[in-house]
Parts: sequence; structure tokens; C-alpha cells
Amino acid sequence: MARRFRRTRRGITAGFEPQEAELVAGLLEDVARLLAGPAGAADAPGQDAPLDPAATGEEATLAALARQLDGGPVEAPHDPALARLLPTASDDDDAAAEFRRFAQEGLADRKRSTLLTAAATLRRPAPLLLTDDEARAWLTALTDLRLVLAQRLGLETDDDAALVAMRAAEADEDDPASWTANIYDFLTWLQEGLADVLLGDLPDAGGPPRR
Amino acid sequence: MPAEAAETDAPWVTIVWNDPVNLMSYVTYVFQSYFGYSRAEAEQLMSDVHGKGRAVVSTGSLEEMERDVEAMHGFGLWATFSHDT
Repeated sequence: MARRFRRTRRGITAGFEPQEAELVAGLLEDVARLLAGPAGAADAPGQDAPLDPAATGEEATLAALARQLDGGPVEAPHDPALARLLPTASDDDDAAAEFRRFAQEGLADRKRSTLLTAAATLRRPAPLLLTDDEARAWLTALTDLRLVLAQRLGLETDDDAALVAMRAAEADEDDPASWTANIYDFLTWLQEGLADVLLGDLPDAGGPPRR
Repeated sequence: MPAEAAETDAPWVTIVWNDPVNLMSYVTYVFQSYFGYSRAEAEQLMSDVHGKGRAVVSTGSLEEMERDVEAMHGFGLWATFSHDT
């Protein structure tokens, strides 16, 4: 079994079984790949073509495809998991589209880099020993991975979270959702430990903003 | 809110919305480390997000709010900017 994240004199550490390290590294890399897809970093940011608010359904899909080919405005990703990683930034459609145009590609790139930084630490010889920068990358990477798994599990409300925990507890090997719920539960437990460590490093009185 | 945000008449806000995935400790960590809030301020904002469904986490110009929203998205939080009406 894995051991919870904790701070030691040499750095932040956690114990993973080899197969756990392999699994988590693979999942982190999967999410990085998802962000490299057509609606992520590889999507050319658009220039001038206006969004057509009247387009719906199939028409909208075709219009979106046409705009992607034209290098038109960057749309919300169609994959709901990717859409959660790169969410809509405003309830004003024009402002949201403008935001995607200038921010989405860079955001997807930074997320990929963070995910791959975390995954790479698991490819090093055990035991896992993280610098503070790597620990921060881990904390954010675990969030993005959990967001993707949560979307695949249909986890949308606080009540759903309890159902996912129940499903994880069932541990039915023949039920892929139970397997996914189990992984999600494990990642939540990991992230809780790491968040406690990094939150404990921050002064209670607050400090200079990072922004 | 920091004093400088409360005193300004800048008309834009950054809102963070509740979601069932992000941990309370993580959301507190993000608010404290990114905005420089005290633990008590960060926990209050986190508690508003969790309990009321949303919280205004910063106030300023449109450009500043776009930067904050982008940072929140980077952390995996669901944030929007809007005109403070």
C-alpha cells in the first residue's frame, strides 16, 4: 500500500508500490495527452470570425469544425472532461470566446507541463522525493487528473461524491466504474495528504500574493 | 478581502464556483498561496464557495480579473470574471 505524503528533512516524500507508481504516472500522462488534442494546445487560436449564436446541434458541430479548419475562434472543447479542465471564463459569450482565444493554448500547455513534471518524478528510482516545486506540480496535477476521472464517473454534485465513495467501497472487479471509483478514491486520499503538507507550509497571517 | 480591493471602485470581479471534486484544503491552499490571503480569510472564502456555491475572490480591472481567472483555471478551480453590478 502507498504511504501518505509527508515532509522529511530531505524533501516531501510518499511511498508507492511499483504498480501504483506505474498506474498514476500513466494516468497523469493520459491527461497530458488529452490536453494535446484538437481542442487543447494544438488548437490554433482564432482571429476574427464571429461566433454564430444561432447555430445549434449538428449545425454547430459543423460550424465548429469549419472554424477550426479556418483558424476561427477557439470553442469550448467538446469532450466534457477537457471542457472542465479549460472551462468557460465568463457568462458573456463574447468575453468567454475572447478569453479562450488568448488564454486557452497557454493554459493547456502549462497544464500538460505540470502533469508531465509530476509523472516524471514517478519514473525516477524509488523512493519518491520531491522538491517544493515538484510537490506543487503534483498537487495541481492530481486536481486535473481527479477532475477528468470525476467527469468520466458522472460526478457532478456533492451528493454524487458520496455515491462514488460507495462504488469504490464495492470494489467489484468486473465493474469498470467501480475500478475507476477506486482509483479516484485513492487519488483523493493522496491529494489530501499533500494538500495538508503544503497548506501547513503557508503562514497563517498570509503573505505576498504570488500573482 | 484585502483593504486595497475593498477601497477601489474597479467594477470587475473574479468568482470561484463550487464543484464536488476540489478538496477544501486544496481550495484554501490556492486562495492563500495565490492571493496572499490569511488562513482565516482563505478558509472563509473556501467555506462560501462550498456552502453558498460561489464566492468573489478578487476585485479589479478586467485585465486583472482575466489574469486571476486564468490562474484559477490553472489550479483546476472553476472561475469566471464578470462585471460587478
